[in-house]
Amino acid sequence: MEEILFYAFATLAITAALLVVNIRNTARALFLFFVVLFAMAGLYLFALADFVAITQILVYVGGVLILLIFAFMLSNKELLADLQNTSRKFISLPNWQSALLSLAFLSVMLYAFWGWKQHTPDWIIESQRQGTVIQATDNNIGTLGFKFMTQYVLPFEVISIFLMMALIGAAHLSRKGDSV
Amino acid sequence: MADLLLHIIIPIAIFLFIAGFTLFAVYAERKIAGFVQDRLGPMETGKYGLIQTIADILKLIQKEFITPSAADKALFLTAPVIIFVAVFIGYSVVPWAPDFLPTNTNTGLFFILAIVSIDAIGILMAGWGSNNKYSLLGAIRAIAQMVSYEIPVGLSLISAIMITQTLNLNEIADLQGIHSPEIIYFMGFWDVTDIGGLFAWHIFQAPHLLVVYIIFFIATLAECNRAPFDIPEAESELIGGFHTEYGGIKFAFLFLAEYAMMFLVSILGVIIFLGGWNTPLPNIGSLRLADWTTGLGWGLFWTVSKSLLIVGIQMWVRWTLPRFRADQLMTLCWKILIPVAFVCMAISGLWRILVIV
Repeated sequence: MEEILFYAFATLAITAALLVVNIRNTARALFLFFVVLFAMAGLYLFALADFVAITQILVYVGGVLILLIFAFMLSNKELLADLQNTSRKFISLPNWQSALLSLAFLSVMLYAFWGWKQHTPDWIIESQRQGTVIQATDNNIGTLGFKFMTQYVLPFEVISIFLMMALIGAAHLSRKGDSV
Repeated sequence: MADLLLHIIIPIAIFLFIAGFTLFAVYAERKIAGFVQDRLGPMETGKYGLIQTIADILKLIQKEFITPSAADKALFLTAPVIIFVAVFIGYSVVPWAPDFLPTNTNTGLFFILAIVSIDAIGILMAGWGSNNKYSLLGAIRAIAQMVSYEIPVGLSLISAIMITQTLNLNEIADLQGIHSPEIIYFMGFWDVTDIGGLFAWHIFQAPHLLVVYIIFFIATLAECNRAPFDIPEAESELIGGFHTEYGGIKFAFLFLAEYAMMFLVSILGVIIFLGGWNTPLPNIGSLRLADWTTGLGWGLFWTVSKSLLIVGIQMWVRWTLPRFRADQLMTLCWKILIPVAFVCMAISGLWRILVIV
């Protein structure tokens, strides 16, 4: 059952992602992007990363995607028409750039393929023996909170300051008046 | 096999509940509107107009399936489904009675917050897909409002979560009654673990949580796009807002989603702030009122009746207050609710460290 669901989510994500880059209609592409993000959140659940899955929906679907669609709806028609009339090529980049990109992706995939073995990796067997495996019913959020406040407190604080800077910057840019 | 059957039966049961609730709530809404405006409300169909909403739904189902010729068909057709499903999934983690809930997950509250935000995508889809300027304007207004008001909702929930220390809705409700695994203090000084009842509810566990609940109530009212926050579908300005072009069964689904959302935010507020399934009656000496009125059946009764009471207040507010202007709406959110919610969050942190030890 779980395997079927996993493959269903994976197929959904890949098909939708291919459609997103191919479809002519930008509005539909944006809404298809929602399907991609949702399917990805489903895949995270299979990695027992329920917190990441929900955050993905909350931040990307509830925030970023809505902003994208919002910006799309508020931009003017000529700009959109220009966007939709681009060349029919698969990726509209100059040849050497797209070649570089595809080579890079190919090497990443090959690297992952060579690193992949049929049997379970040693570190998983080791942790299974020690009983430090995360169960689906574990309180992952509690563990995550403790880790953020102890082991990873510096990166956590740096990120919050960074987000604060972005927020203040956004508020400053949107302010009416002389100094922009 | 039995497991699989349960996975099918529970959603159907919840759907039937939502449908039944909507039928009842539309009737109640009209009667309350009538009462507020000093008239009778529906009286013609059946005794006291009781079967008015059934007649309405029959009319909606019979209607022709109309899609505007210039509409983006795929988006136009999927939008009501997405809007309804987003709200419907939210019910999957809501506890109705002690340990009587579809999914007992540690991320319950967070899950609801995330899944309900998908609602906004559905509204944008409906607005864009209809290819109608009123729909688009309504959708844009709806998103501006929903995205803004998600912040006070989130902050008020965080304030409560800092006290409860768990996101599991079942445990949150458990922490407010006589079966609580932790010691409960009324306003931080009076041990009410054995007394229970009204005094053990979260709004009375710390004084600022009452303010937090009011913020939560106002902000969720705006999330539901209901008056006085109904500028997305302001009839006098935008015809019908994002659902101008919808009719028949598709409109019925949008309507169902609105009422389902109303009940969802009410039950969420009840579980987090108003004691969930716990009884409002305290134990007084040998008069064990709280002990007698706790259990599966009673839990179900208390949850539903408290939620219906909150829904009733939402309706009362809708027919009493005039609509906000768009700038007043944003002022209320960004200049009043969010700063107050931030202060409450800080108080929650201090309360947890200094008062609850």
